[in-house]
Amino acid sequence: MSWVARLLPTCQEMSKLLSDALDRRLPWHIRTRMFVHLRMCMLCKQYQHQLALLRRLLRLTNDSHSAGVQVLQAGLSDEAKERIRRALDSSHS
Amino acid sequence: MDEVVGPDSHRWIDEHGDYLYRFALVRVYDSNVAEDLVQDTFLAALQGTRRESGPTAERRWMVGIIKHKIVDHFRRMAKEPLRDDSRSDVPSADDDFLVDGHWKPAAADSRGWPDKPDTLLEQKQFWDALACCLDKLPPRTAQVFTLREMDEMDTEEICRLLHLTQTNLGVMLYRARKQLRNCLSTRYFGRTEEAVQS
Repeated sequence: MSWVARLLPTCQEMSKLLSDALDRRLPWHIRTRMFVHLRMCMLCKQYQHQLALLRRLLRLTNDSHSAGVQVLQAGLSDEAKERIRRALDSSHS
Repeated sequence: MDEVVGPDSHRWIDEHGDYLYRFALVRVYDSNVAEDLVQDTFLAALQGTRRESGPTAERRWMVGIIKHKIVDHFRRMAKEPLRDDSRSDVPSADDDFLVDGHWKPAAADSRGWPDKPDTLLEQKQFWDALACCLDKLPPRTAQVFTLREMDEMDTEEICRLLHLTQTNLGVMLYRARKQLRNCLSTRYFGRTEEAVQS
């Protein structure tokens, strides 16, 4: 078993590879070693799941119907609105 | 002229102002900049003409404009000599691992993470925690992370836009994801009692 483990990425290396895999297609020999590691390692499997969940959640912030867009309760202040109103008025006067 | 254009643009401020402001704020993390971006968006909208009609089309049109404004803003910032977060050694991303490369037991704690995002969507507390965690990312890292994850820009485009190498970008995204995941684990999932106090 230990000789197999030596051929595989460590968890630390896996955490970087799992991130990279979200941005580009990795070479097949790396994907194969990741696959084997994930079959044996619950913690990396969980980490992979968490990254995927995070991505789905962040993309949902773009959906105007989701609560995600309300992430920040802040809105434009009245002063800011007034300033913008004046800027718009002066632009077409 | 004022009677025709004025009221319409004033209506925009009330109908889309807050939305666009929040849209910009989660991306630029600076309220002054976000306000300016909203103003620039309305000014650009005054110049342009919308192809579709209806209130949702108007919103989509404005979002399209502000997205460009935000990218322009990032491009301007990229020209300024900003600290390159990928080389900063502030919170080392390797603190989560033992010397042999295994997860530290505490770092791997994943209690409370759900299988699907559905349960989280309507929970304001979750989004607050997420906003707070995003806020803690180093500025440059937050910028690339936002472009990649919220705007779904591909990595080559981000590198070109911000003058980064693929390697640097990969490191920054890696750290951003790990830091966010750790922050959410602490602030929201599993350890809620502690999160309330912090």
